[in-house]
Amino acid sequence: MIIDTVQERLLVISDLHVGNPYSAATRSLGEFFEFAESGRYNVCINGDGFEILQARFASLATESAGVLRAIRRLIDRGLTVLYVVGNHDIALENFLTAWSGINITPFLNVTSGGARIRIEHGHLYDPSFVQNPRLYEWLTRAAGPFLHFYPDVYRLWTHYENARQRGRQLLRGGKGDHSVYHAAAEMLLRRGFDAVVFGHTHQSEDVALASGGRYLNCGTWVRGGSFVEIDHGQVALRRWGD
Amino acid sequence: MFKKLITSPEAHGTELSRTYADAELICREGESSAEMFVIRRGSVRVFKASSRGELELAVLSKGDFFGEMSVLEGLPRDASAQALGEAEVLVMTAGALLVRLRRDPTFAFELLRRLSGRVRSLNARLVHAIGNGGDTSATSYTEALLYQSEGASSKAKPREGAA
Repeated sequence: MIIDTVQERLLVISDLHVGNPYSAATRSLGEFFEFAESGRYNVCINGDGFEILQARFASLATESAGVLRAIRRLIDRGLTVLYVVGNHDIALENFLTAWSGINITPFLNVTSGGARIRIEHGHLYDPSFVQNPRLYEWLTRAAGPFLHFYPDVYRLWTHYENARQRGRQLLRGGKGDHSVYHAAAEMLLRRGFDAVVFGHTHQSEDVALASGGRYLNCGTWVRGGSFVEIDHGQVALRRWGD
Repeated sequence: MFKKLITSPEAHGTELSRTYADAELICREGESSAEMFVIRRGSVRVFKASSRGELELAVLSKGDFFGEMSVLEGLPRDASAQALGEAEVLVMTAGALLVRLRRDPTFAFELLRRLSGRVRSLNARLVHAIGNGGDTSATSYTEALLYQSEGASSKAKPREGAA
């Protein structure tokens, strides 16, 4: 299992939710992978790449075949594909080491151009997931059918979580501007990281934190697409298509 | 004295940041201490006294950690650590470590992975020693243990695109 890796050129994407009938990922990933191949970038899927928790098996099998072929093509061209496990594809933990040439791992410590970057899905800092993982899983499964009516259920959930956190802080006399993910990133940055890259929230972000380090979130590919580009230690959030 | 003890940040499980000048000792072999260190900036040399002089075990860099054995076992330091150039370290007592493990569970994973790697390495050395018909006594095993001292595993650095 890879945890520490040197990657001078790496593209990080997350929350593709392949298998979700409304995910745009299967339509746009082909071109994205071609972009990675032409620029000789290795690729990291930072969790929730495959929708194992909510999607029907038939849908998952159909949708994932093309993505796996595209990933295989990258590997055959000599590029490395890393897969960080998220909460919707947690079953992939059973394949930690290598699965069809993809390196599956719980998180990554990337060294690039002398910078240290932590790549992690981020669900371990989601208070709802940590406090009651069984209920969280049940609610996630139950939310599956709602995707057919409103595909952005995940984003709605993140808004709800943020509002709940803000409410709690205001009740305690705080400013209500605290994010649990920013706080988690600060914890990691104190360990000698220069930047932290999460997924999970479906909200792409690039924030300079108080400690001087950076927090980036890859966002989602359910609608549109954003990614984090790491190039010799330079880390940037990009929108696919810009 | 007592007041200072119970009001210090360490008493509340707080991590501290300390900066060391070039060649300054961060911890000394044999001393009693209950702190571990994570390197935030700079490099640290880990070494041990031996019958043949000073034995360098590892040169650690940003993100590496050392001194965890003293925190986990409450035993005297097994090796010394010295700043190479100016170095900033995050200092954790047992209390601070517990708070971090709760808030940053991946740190526990990295810590256990390090210790697991050491056990695997020592087992391999033991099997190798037995296979070679060498000294299989407790002394031989202890020597291997000493050699695999704190931080030694960090000598192996990750490779580009390592698989």
